[in-house]
Amino acid sequence: MPGMWWVVGASLVVGLVAAYLIWTAGRVERLRVRAESAARALDAHLLRRAAAAAVLAERRYGVELYAAARIALDAEPQEREAAENDLTRQLRAVRLDPTEPDCEAVIAASRRLALARQVHTDLVRDARSARGRPLVRLLRMGRRHPWPRYFDIDDPTLELPADVPA
Amino acid sequence: MRIGIVCPYSFDVPGGVQNHVMDLAEALLGLGHEVSVLAPADEDSPLPPYVVPAGRAVPLPYNGSVARIAFGPVSSARVRRWIARGEFDVLHVHEPLTLSLSMLAVLSAKGPVVATFHTAMTRSRVLAAAQGVLQIVLERITARIAVSALARKVQVEHMDGGAVEIPNGVTVAKFSHAAPLPGWPGECGPGEGGTLGFLGRFTEARKGFPILRDAFVELAGTRPGLRLLVAGPGDPDDLFDRFPAPLRDRVTFLGLVSEADKARMLRSVHLYVAPNTGGESFGMILTEALAAGTTVVASDLDAFRRVLDGGRAGQLFPTGDAAALRAALAALLDDPARRAELTACGDQVVAHFDWPVVARRVLEVYAAAIEATDGRVIDQEWAGLG
Repeated sequence: MPGMWWVVGASLVVGLVAAYLIWTAGRVERLRVRAESAARALDAHLLRRAAAAAVLAERRYGVELYAAARIALDAEPQEREAAENDLTRQLRAVRLDPTEPDCEAVIAASRRLALARQVHTDLVRDARSARGRPLVRLLRMGRRHPWPRYFDIDDPTLELPADVPA
Repeated sequence: MRIGIVCPYSFDVPGGVQNHVMDLAEALLGLGHEVSVLAPADEDSPLPPYVVPAGRAVPLPYNGSVARIAFGPVSSARVRRWIARGEFDVLHVHEPLTLSLSMLAVLSAKGPVVATFHTAMTRSRVLAAAQGVLQIVLERITARIAVSALARKVQVEHMDGGAVEIPNGVTVAKFSHAAPLPGWPGECGPGEGGTLGFLGRFTEARKGFPILRDAFVELAGTRPGLRLLVAGPGDPDDLFDRFPAPLRDRVTFLGLVSEADKARMLRSVHLYVAPNTGGESFGMILTEALAAGTTVVASDLDAFRRVLDGGRAGQLFPTGDAAALRAALAALLDDPARRAELTACGDQVVAHFDWPVVARRVLEVYAAAIEATDGRVIDQEWAGLG
């Protein structure tokens, strides 16, 4: 009965394809969730840095830095990248003394922010590349969610440690 | 924090990655964290208490040399069991792109994974062919660390991702407190005496030993009592054949030395010479020499210039130029004040490479990975960063 083997073969192929599709859909979803978590962590670190900068500005450096910190805290999503870059520029313009607790808080917050930004960029890249695969596009997997977005800001690290070459 | 570290290579064989993992684990323990290291090793081999053996490693040719690794269903089961029992806050794997425990751990892990890349291997054909498979591994890594600028460059250009550059650490106390070998380094007066040191494979062209040999032979002719201390793998006859007969008794060969003897050797010389002609991505040995408080004379390679802070912490000479090296050695041996100035600056530089300092930077990456995995933000105090 050659017909039976056709059936067995065909169902095997269908099974494998289905398994691959389920795995791929799971992968796209897993990477999307990861990128979203990273975005939440990045958001928290942006707020932390701006808050630390506002505290510092109130105690020591006055209006311009305070304004930049406020604008970064209140920025609408589409203006946020520019506002954060502006805050980075303002922070670089003032002379920070690492032995002062308020300055140290800003330096530490900036360092943590730099790490959060690096991780977020990597995870968004992974999520987007999985989402951009031809098969994923064709079957419109993940269509219920917007594409993960990069958060494009300058490196916020303030003070390069002496051991890290520029 | 509960930290699980995976080392891909067996502790039975010494190596850069193994040393890095052990020093990192000890530094993290010293900062009050709970650390478990999974590494291939026999059940009965003597191991530090924080190491969990994952069974014997088998030798396998890889990337031009023989790597001892563990891979397969048995190893895989052990990795899973270790992860399940450990309840780690973060998993830190080393060299996850080799077929090893590290790769198995990445594939079985669910939570935050930090990966450290040591080698600066350029894009190999194997790597290119396996890109699809490697992508699955890379996708499970949350944060990446590169130990050198070169390793980071490979990440950015070939693996399509960024990496945080955190240099190799050095346990400064181990080097600064080592006792010199008996009778060394000896006298170093104006115009006579002095001891030079070299550590590494003297037969390997890129280590630049012939340049030091030429400089030593010429300088020894005019400077009585000048001695050379060589350590590293190789055949003694092969080494002594390189020197004219009258100078042979002024050369001492230690052979392959242990970590402890390496520290003593570095403390036993007036000048440590690194005449390398290229291929160094970091220059670990220079940080070790600085930690030992020894003056360093090194070729003007990018990696060396970075470690020596552009020449403030050690004397640089044009790469491959034996005459320039000879002049630099002669000048430094006669100038103790200049040597003291360089080593004082070396102390400052090496403080940035001290393991507790480096481990704190690694902890910040752990925190970033944990935060990115579940979106919560970690307090400085909890992460032990303060």
